[in-house]
Amino acid sequence: MSTITAENIQPKGKKILNDKYLIYVVGGLIGLFLLVFMLLPVLNILRLSMTAYDPRKHEFLGRLTLANFTNYFSKPAIVQSLYHSLWIAVWSMVITTTLAFFFAYGLTRTTIKWKKALYYVAMTPLIAPSLLQAMALISLFGSNGLITAGLLNVEWNIYGPTGIIISEVLYCFPHAMVILYTTLSAVDSRLDEAASSLGASEVTTFFKITVPTARYGIFSAAALVFNLAITDFGNPIIIGRGYNVLSTEIYLQVIGMQRFDLGTTIAVVLLVPSIIAFLLNYYFTKKSHSLISGQAKPQLPPSRPLKKYGFTAYSWTIAGILLSVIGVIVFKSFIKVWMYNWSFTTSHYQFKIPGGISVLWTSLKIALFVGFFGAFLTILNGYIIEKKKPFFAQPLYLFSVIPAAIPGLVMGLGYILIFNTRFLNLDNILYGKPLIIIINVIITNFTLGTLSSISNMKNIDKSMDEAATSLGANTTRTFLRIIFPLNRISFMSNLIYYFMRSMVTISAVIFLISPDVHLASIAVINLEKDGQEGPSAAMATLIIIIVIVMLAIFALLFKKRGLKVVAESE
Amino acid sequence: MHKKLLMVLLVVFLLLPAFVFAGGKQEKGSGEVVIYTALEEDETADYLALAKKELPNLDIKWVRYSTGEVSAKLLAERENPQADLVWGTAVTALALLQDLFQPYKPAGYDKLPAQFKDPAGYWAAIDMYVAAFAVNKDRLAKKGLDKPTSWTDLTKPEYKNEVIMPNPGSSGTGYLQVSSILLWKGIKEGKEDGWEFLKKLNKNIVEYTNSGSAPAKIASKGEIAVGASFGYRVAKQISAGYPVEMVFPSEGSGYELEANALLKGAKHPAAAKKFLDWTLSEDAMKAYSKYKIMVTLPGIKSQSTIPLPDPKDVKLFPMDFKWTSQHKIEIVNKWTSLFQDKTKPE
Repeated sequence: MSTITAENIQPKGKKILNDKYLIYVVGGLIGLFLLVFMLLPVLNILRLSMTAYDPRKHEFLGRLTLANFTNYFSKPAIVQSLYHSLWIAVWSMVITTTLAFFFAYGLTRTTIKWKKALYYVAMTPLIAPSLLQAMALISLFGSNGLITAGLLNVEWNIYGPTGIIISEVLYCFPHAMVILYTTLSAVDSRLDEAASSLGASEVTTFFKITVPTARYGIFSAAALVFNLAITDFGNPIIIGRGYNVLSTEIYLQVIGMQRFDLGTTIAVVLLVPSIIAFLLNYYFTKKSHSLISGQAKPQLPPSRPLKKYGFTAYSWTIAGILLSVIGVIVFKSFIKVWMYNWSFTTSHYQFKIPGGISVLWTSLKIALFVGFFGAFLTILNGYIIEKKKPFFAQPLYLFSVIPAAIPGLVMGLGYILIFNTRFLNLDNILYGKPLIIIINVIITNFTLGTLSSISNMKNIDKSMDEAATSLGANTTRTFLRIIFPLNRISFMSNLIYYFMRSMVTISAVIFLISPDVHLASIAVINLEKDGQEGPSAAMATLIIIIVIVMLAIFALLFKKRGLKVVAESE
Repeated sequence: MHKKLLMVLLVVFLLLPAFVFAGGKQEKGSGEVVIYTALEEDETADYLALAKKELPNLDIKWVRYSTGEVSAKLLAERENPQADLVWGTAVTALALLQDLFQPYKPAGYDKLPAQFKDPAGYWAAIDMYVAAFAVNKDRLAKKGLDKPTSWTDLTKPEYKNEVIMPNPGSSGTGYLQVSSILLWKGIKEGKEDGWEFLKKLNKNIVEYTNSGSAPAKIASKGEIAVGASFGYRVAKQISAGYPVEMVFPSEGSGYELEANALLKGAKHPAAAKKFLDWTLSEDAMKAYSKYKIMVTLPGIKSQSTIPLPDPKDVKLFPMDFKWTSQHKIEIVNKWTSLFQDKTKPE
């Protein structure tokens, strides 16, 4: 920092001053945005969980108390949901991480074919609402499922903890796989080679070298899966059948019983494991990045046939399962009465729900807006934190990473509890309007967007920024003409990420739908909960189609531009 | 090139808010009315198709929740009500929330018999619905079970894990079922037999669902043999082609009124009143009668196209709405402490 920088030699001091203030204003606004829409709702939940409540009048009384917590922990029936959640999360974590590790290993360390296809198939759970897995499992393995009742005619069914764990594994798989894929392709695999050329067997090499060198990636994936599984709402509410976990308990207490005291208290209980898992994930991710080596990609030697065929079979089994989850639902959406009348019908696509088919367009509009606005904001945020480093860069960074630790359902609950009051008069423009959903989705996914844009900014040489400044460009111009164009790839990937999240998210927005705004993903869960399996499968199918079509459009735009970016920057 | 792309992005970026919010703004001018209902989504869609024809100036926005969800929403929003009116929600739930409503006697209020309306005009009922079991014949045959004909049958050990019913806290149907059982077993005389009966029943129950229609749908799918639900939903499942039969418990079916109420602090009171007037009109009642066993306007017979029985043929349990709404909170609380934690039995 002590070297001569553009700012030091800039002759026009006044302009620099202005730029500095501009950064303060923009950074301050982002900070304020996070403060109001992330921190306040959560703090409000904390406050309410410690406020006395009158269950007869359904009113908080304003008195400070710990009674809600003693009340909660004295009800074994409700505390049970905490154990259930931990049980589910631990098993999902172990199984998902193991399965995803071998999948990623196959893609990075063996010479199996069709790697790209396998990678994309592994990502498919991201394009559907997180209850699709439960829906598919029930259709196949429910008490009147196609396989359990139709083919095998057995009593066993998948409801309860088994069903939740399997659906979480299927849902969390891509998240763990991406982390492990990155780790395994970045960690120096020459160590493995060295070991085997020194005579170590493949198994020895695997356990003594491969696994230990990838350990931080494994831990970080495990912590992420734990967090996702313990906060998921869609799958457990559909397939749990009475096996309540924390997230479903919050929903039932608030929506079913109007017990806002217990709802906020359980939300705080859920925050604890969720935050711990997030911190672990964050810590291991940092550790894992420090192990990444620049020259770690030697040519892979051809795998031995046994290994190759083994991994091919393994990868395609998993890919097949992931694909059949979607396949079953699409198929089901055209079946008149599942298990009773297999004739073809399109009648499930005539939706008799509030908003009708237009819920899809509402979802699409909101998702596009979330995509553009979210990507723009996170890029700007990354730029300010990484490149401009104002004095509040650290707190701003901290604010930006917190959202990943807050379960979507808790954030949604926080929103209805604060934004339907006369607080700051925000109720009139926010509550029950599309804007509150847009903001909510942007906030709940703020962390990943910001982190990816920060790491991108790191790759942009500081001299670019300085050159522009010394040539007389102000901050706005530098950002728009230099930084933003150089970040187009990152912008597009953030946009796609935000778009997909917005199309499929359930837990964050289930408390926020209103007569004004009906969303497609919520329609799926409501229809399914109501036992209308045909229409819910049809709606899920339409969501998947829209996401795929939009991804194709983005990819087309992205590819053209992306190549240009590469060409021009060289 | 950079510039061009940037401009496109910026334009899109700036236009999007307009795009998203355009819908909301246009509708402000006309007679917007916001409705929360606990009526079923498919029937509501049909009623509203008619309402739109007869009330062309109204811009009707609606959302369907279960009875408990309607209450939770109204309570959460009491400082800033989003809905203008509630349409077709269990009267026992509405009576508890009287503070949130304002009295309004819609046109047609006078034609309703006294038992179907609040004397002060806080609510007016449109129809009655009756508890009924959806019994899956297919599954009964497969399991070698007899057709149950009463609540008492459902407590028999052979129906273990074959019964599903709604949660009385969140579902109006659930509450009328539970309260009719309690009344039948003499809770008003201070007897605990009703709770003992529910405990026995609980042993056979797989899950308590959020809404009253879900048990019928789950039983239809063959997931469970018996779903305790209500008449209209069971009839609807039969006509949709599921192998289910409708059974009214021989002890007498509990029933409940579905009623409307106007919110205190409604943002569109004029439009809301217009709509409430319509809900009691003869045309509206005729529309309901296609789905309901009985509507509240005298002289209109049920003309359901679905297999609903004549109300005369159903043994109704003598309900006491005053008592059931007054004791709802304590009954639900006690029920919750006993059964809420229902986990799937092994």
